[in-house]
Amino acid sequence: MNINKTEIKKGINLHTIKTDKFKSNIVSVFLTTTLTKQDVTKNALISLILRRGTSNIKTQAELGIKLEEMYGGLFNSGLDKIGDNHLFKFYLETINDEFLPEHKENVLDESISLLLDIVFNPLTEEGRFKQEYFEQEKVTLQKLIAARKDNKRMYALNRCIEEMYKGTPYGLYKLGSEEDISKIENKDLYAYYKELIRNVRIDIFVSGDIKEDEVMTAIKENSNIKNLPEREPSYTPVELKINETNGEENEVQETMEVSQGNLTIGLDVGAQNQDDIYKSVVYNAILGGSANSKLFQNVREKAHLAYVASSSYLRHKHDIIISCGIEIGNYDKALKIIREQIDDIKNENFTDKDLEEAKKMIIEDLKVIDDEQDSQITYCFGQEIQNVPGVTPEEYIEGINHVTKQDVLDIAKRVKINTIYFLKGENE
Amino acid sequence: MKVIESLKVKEKVYIEKLENGLTVMIIPKKDVKQKYVIWGTKYGSNDSKFVVPGENEPIEVPQGVAHFLEHKMFEQENGTNSLDTLTSLGVNANAYTTNDHTAYLFKGIDNFYEALDELMDYVQHPYFTDENVEKEKGIIGQEIMMYDDSPQWRLYMNTLTAMYHNHPIKIDTAGSIETISHIDKDVLYKCYNTFYNPSNMIFVACGDFVPEEFLEEIKKRLIDTKGNGEIKRIYPEEPEEIVKKREEKQMQVSVPFYCIGLKLKPAANNEEMVKRQIANQIILDILCGKSSKLYNKLYDAGTLFAPPDLEDEEHKDYAFIMMSGVTPDPDKVYKEITNEIETLKAEGIEKSDFERIKKNTYGEYVREYEDVETMGRNFLADAIKGINNFDYLEAIESINLEYTEQILKDLFNEDKMVLSIIK
Repeated sequence: MNINKTEIKKGINLHTIKTDKFKSNIVSVFLTTTLTKQDVTKNALISLILRRGTSNIKTQAELGIKLEEMYGGLFNSGLDKIGDNHLFKFYLETINDEFLPEHKENVLDESISLLLDIVFNPLTEEGRFKQEYFEQEKVTLQKLIAARKDNKRMYALNRCIEEMYKGTPYGLYKLGSEEDISKIENKDLYAYYKELIRNVRIDIFVSGDIKEDEVMTAIKENSNIKNLPEREPSYTPVELKINETNGEENEVQETMEVSQGNLTIGLDVGAQNQDDIYKSVVYNAILGGSANSKLFQNVREKAHLAYVASSSYLRHKHDIIISCGIEIGNYDKALKIIREQIDDIKNENFTDKDLEEAKKMIIEDLKVIDDEQDSQITYCFGQEIQNVPGVTPEEYIEGINHVTKQDVLDIAKRVKINTIYFLKGENE
Repeated sequence: MKVIESLKVKEKVYIEKLENGLTVMIIPKKDVKQKYVIWGTKYGSNDSKFVVPGENEPIEVPQGVAHFLEHKMFEQENGTNSLDTLTSLGVNANAYTTNDHTAYLFKGIDNFYEALDELMDYVQHPYFTDENVEKEKGIIGQEIMMYDDSPQWRLYMNTLTAMYHNHPIKIDTAGSIETISHIDKDVLYKCYNTFYNPSNMIFVACGDFVPEEFLEEIKKRLIDTKGNGEIKRIYPEEPEEIVKKREEKQMQVSVPFYCIGLKLKPAANNEEMVKRQIANQIILDILCGKSSKLYNKLYDAGTLFAPPDLEDEEHKDYAFIMMSGVTPDPDKVYKEITNEIETLKAEGIEKSDFERIKKNTYGEYVREYEDVETMGRNFLADAIKGINNFDYLEAIESINLEYTEQILKDLFNEDKMVLSIIK
């Protein structure tokens, strides 16, 4: 990965990734700010309002036309939690000029200025966001929050995370809460937005078959960028630490109109340093990261209790979440088997082969980063946001290679069930 | 090998039909680390009534066999499971079943040829026992229930049942808990022997390959099988008319889900199918895409929150369009869309809209040639239908406003439209 980082101003960085492997160019802007209960819903609303129009392109219909003219420019925006931060993501993907029927259109330049306009130059009136957009997006946000319940598995996963990290920033839902929406006033929101873009950490990524000096000039000379002040960014570097827990298991059950039950279990793991991350990632792969994992083999293949039985590593939290879709009546049976798997690893009940296979799988995923344009960006940003120096995919692979059986045992010994969340049907 | 090149996306496909009838397609991608291979058979959930080559009488098998077979192919006689073996090798392996094909695949960097050994071995060596067939019923049962809880899936299936009287496209790919209960090992072997014959299969590889060399790698892993004759598939007669205008189902959802289905008369031939698909896409984007008047009006009114998801499924014996999403008022969306279709027909399509959406469509297609997996899958799915995937790019160039308006008049008729709702 050929990546160059340049500080445009203090707190504002440009990362260029030059590659001729792809037919597209991607421009993305990430804004990172500390996640708080007070601001989470505001951030979600801002993210929606910004999509509606800029002071140059005033409506989403015009924006649509503009993107279509750019040979199907793909605009996307969204929010994520990254450690204890709220992350605004904006992407614009366009075809490289080489693959356009009429060459020399310089779609990339247009794409850079359009995306920066969307993020930093919204349509306003009387010192606030356009009132109509503000009102409409409040409704949209309310719908989006309510729609969480439509995807049962994701809902169960997010609910488990909320219970597990209750009272901390990570326990907040990324789109905020319905009851907070009505409290937001347009004028306050716009003032908050102005403050936000003055203080937030800004990362701009440009990837593709690009001329780096031209991209740099385009960014530096962009009026939106010129207008932004230097800043001491207001974000929380992702910390590596092991959480103190009381060791008690928290059990939560919720009912909904479902035919299948969703059992989700949050495990406390934590990581103190980069080496710990490698060990935990390998532990997770053995537990539930693949078709060879303990969970898949025992819950699905041996007991036939589930179609989905897996675990995933929460990348910037360094804990693990288990997810199984089971028949509601099989709750006790499934939970018992899952506990056995956790204990099994603790008791060294896994083979060298399990260890090697887990490592192979993780390494494969790391090697693939190079083949995927958006994965390169995500990986690079993830490394940037930690409070320890980032590692390249090659170094990461090296780290995984060094994990031993004893390392996995060390992790297994400190793994504790934090939360057992079950989404079940109403009649059971 | 026969070579087809697309100058537009600067890609080539090498094609060879082997003596045993197997079609091999290799798409070289320089400097990409991952290699992707996918082996498909022209056998999907639609094929439950057929005549086994060499026999006279048609047989009918329970719904869901193709998908069940896909699950069971991984089981090996020595007690191992090929999915586990492939995972052990560090590659990403999977399989899936659609209405018209079943595919086995993996992508990987390291241990690629060991993984190829395994893939080609397990697809050619079925091993079904009463015991392993029974066990799978529990797992597939949970898969079916997972889909049952998905509003999108129910919406999709209900749209199909509102449009189709008899065609098996309206049946769930996995079958139902009831139909799969009738599946046993004999049925599986019968279907395997009929459909998993090289002459009914296509192998696609995409990655950093030297085509001629990789062809040899495939050949040496093939067991000695003779191509069997043509498999006669029997599909029921399907009237052009829809079944019912409206289908509503209750489920716990935050906002109602809507899907508008438009039943189409299948295209006369493949060339027409490709061209028509592009025209349909352009029409749909003009009608209700992100820049359309209609979508923006409905957004402002709080009726839509995103442009409808648009899908055009074109097949030799069935074809339909779906426009779907969420809305507080599905009937309003239906009414507005049908009105807008009539307006568009009466007033004609704006030349500038047409040219712009055509550019947009071109970009969307170019993007389909980014990664080995998307390419491999697309080449297979099209080859199953007898279409060369590059043809779409050529068709976009050749398509004009007159043709598009003709398609609009011929196909977009309200009496062929249904509304399916989940709320």
